[in-house]
Amino acid sequence: MAIRPSPSRLEGGSTVAPRRISARTRNEWFTAYGFLLPNIIGLFVFVFLPILYAFYASLHDWNALSPKVFAGLDNYRKLLHDDEWWSSLKITLLFSVVYVPLLYFLSLLSALLMNALRGWTTGLTRTLFLLPFAITSVISAIIGMFMLDPRNGIINSLLGLAGIGPQQFLGSTSQAMYSVIGVILWINVGYNMIIFLSAIKEIPRDYYEAASMDGATGWKSFRYLTLPLLSETSTFILIVTTIGSFQALDQILVMTQGGPANSTEVSVLYIYKQGFQFLNMGYASSLAIALFVIIFCLSLFQLKLFSRKQG
Amino acid sequence: MRPTVRTSNRIVLPTVGLILGVCMVFPIYMMIISSLRSETTVFDFQLLPIEFHFSNFQEAWSGSGLPRSIVNSLFISVTVTVVAMIFHAMSGYALARLHFPGRKLIFAWMLSTLMVPFSIIMLPLYLITKDLGMANSYWGLIVPSIFNAYGIFLFRQFYRDFPKELEEAAYMEGLSLAGTFFRIAFPLSVPIIVPLTIGFFLANWNSYLWPLIITQDEKLWVIQLALAHLVGGGYYTPWNVVLAAAVIAAIPTFILFFLAQRYLVEGIKMSGIK
Repeated sequence: MAIRPSPSRLEGGSTVAPRRISARTRNEWFTAYGFLLPNIIGLFVFVFLPILYAFYASLHDWNALSPKVFAGLDNYRKLLHDDEWWSSLKITLLFSVVYVPLLYFLSLLSALLMNALRGWTTGLTRTLFLLPFAITSVISAIIGMFMLDPRNGIINSLLGLAGIGPQQFLGSTSQAMYSVIGVILWINVGYNMIIFLSAIKEIPRDYYEAASMDGATGWKSFRYLTLPLLSETSTFILIVTTIGSFQALDQILVMTQGGPANSTEVSVLYIYKQGFQFLNMGYASSLAIALFVIIFCLSLFQLKLFSRKQG
Repeated sequence: MRPTVRTSNRIVLPTVGLILGVCMVFPIYMMIISSLRSETTVFDFQLLPIEFHFSNFQEAWSGSGLPRSIVNSLFISVTVTVVAMIFHAMSGYALARLHFPGRKLIFAWMLSTLMVPFSIIMLPLYLITKDLGMANSYWGLIVPSIFNAYGIFLFRQFYRDFPKELEEAAYMEGLSLAGTFFRIAFPLSVPIIVPLTIGFFLANWNSYLWPLIITQDEKLWVIQLALAHLVGGGYYTPWNVVLAAAVIAAIPTFILFFLAQRYLVEGIKMSGIK
């Protein structure tokens, strides 16, 4: 890997000076470093350093009462036996396993629907699907709480019309997670739909014409033409959504704060509570590092899995 | 009689699409019309707005620090976006157009920061920001939100396809490299700046977790914090007022959505391209 480019790379019009660096070249270097400096400092202090800091803190016993004391891997040993941590991981996983496939299929189906639409309703329908994307996460949580109110909520009124009794939703340990998932899905489908739609629109029309001459229409042309050609987009959406699903916190903080009975306490929320409520800085950092490793491995695994499928 | 494929495509699909689309916006619609109901009728399930209690909006506006939080959010979002556009464009330009030792390494390092999820670093980020003396201040709300390798990456992509002739002409005119960027390249970057500006503004307007962490002072509350506070309090929630506040808070994003939907869509598409 050649990191340092040779002098001959100066196609931009600079004179080629093998030994002495010309004034113009030096000027170019200074300008470039000057242009990069704010971001190098900013990314270093606010992204890179925190990761190092988290690792450093995770090796220390450090809370609100006691000063920082080096503790080796004690925090990591502790998390192995922390039932609440394991339960939070299980809840995170449940969230992921339900949310990611649902988001994937709903946005893919919406994109296919948009692509099939013709006529004056097309733009309107797309706008309607995308509008929830303009709702912020806190507002979506507020709307969710309002609509899912156990006593008077509109969803319960609708269920009542269908002859189904009132549900507890956010008040129920078995339904709260699905209620939160529903709200997060609602505001994110439109965004992913647009990504799918733009990928579908890029598929040349003659591919379909050729396929239909071979007798592949409808489901067959989707299965053997559209879907394989969308594999890159699918990989992108699945990986980004999976990473996102491990981080969902806004709506949970507003709607349930992890309740009822910890049934929506995802790992990120548990880290948040350990760090900012119980002020166990060292322990919370070890949890964050552990979660980071899990997310990282999962993304690598997905990338491998999908690239093998394509290859 | 079975409908032919043609009629199904011309009538059935658009109808299905519209029905589903209406379902998607139904919660937003209910938020708006319920915000016009009284405290006792706010949950009544009626599809048409038959009451118009505009006093809800007055109450939401005057009672909850909403105006201040909106001004805070606007100030923070605009500042972050403007500074980020300039910094990211400069870096993207340097990485795409200038030649200097370490270019690939710096670019790879910047991209690697994209792998770090915010929720993983929220605690150390808070500690560092506090150590820098920025906790509980506008600095703490603004500065850490500026840096984002994603913007740099998209600017770099844009400048890679930028016509070389313009820069060469600028050089002949005797402009410095920095002058070429600020006078020629940056003003011609509108096609990338517009969607990115919308994206950055929306992301910062949406921001809830970081302001929650970094501020204690009620005067520093951003709009999302003020809203969350309305439903996070005691046992009783005055839903008519809460919904009115939510509608007020949604207005800027809705305006942006309807004025700039095309660019918003463009921005989303860009984010999907690797």
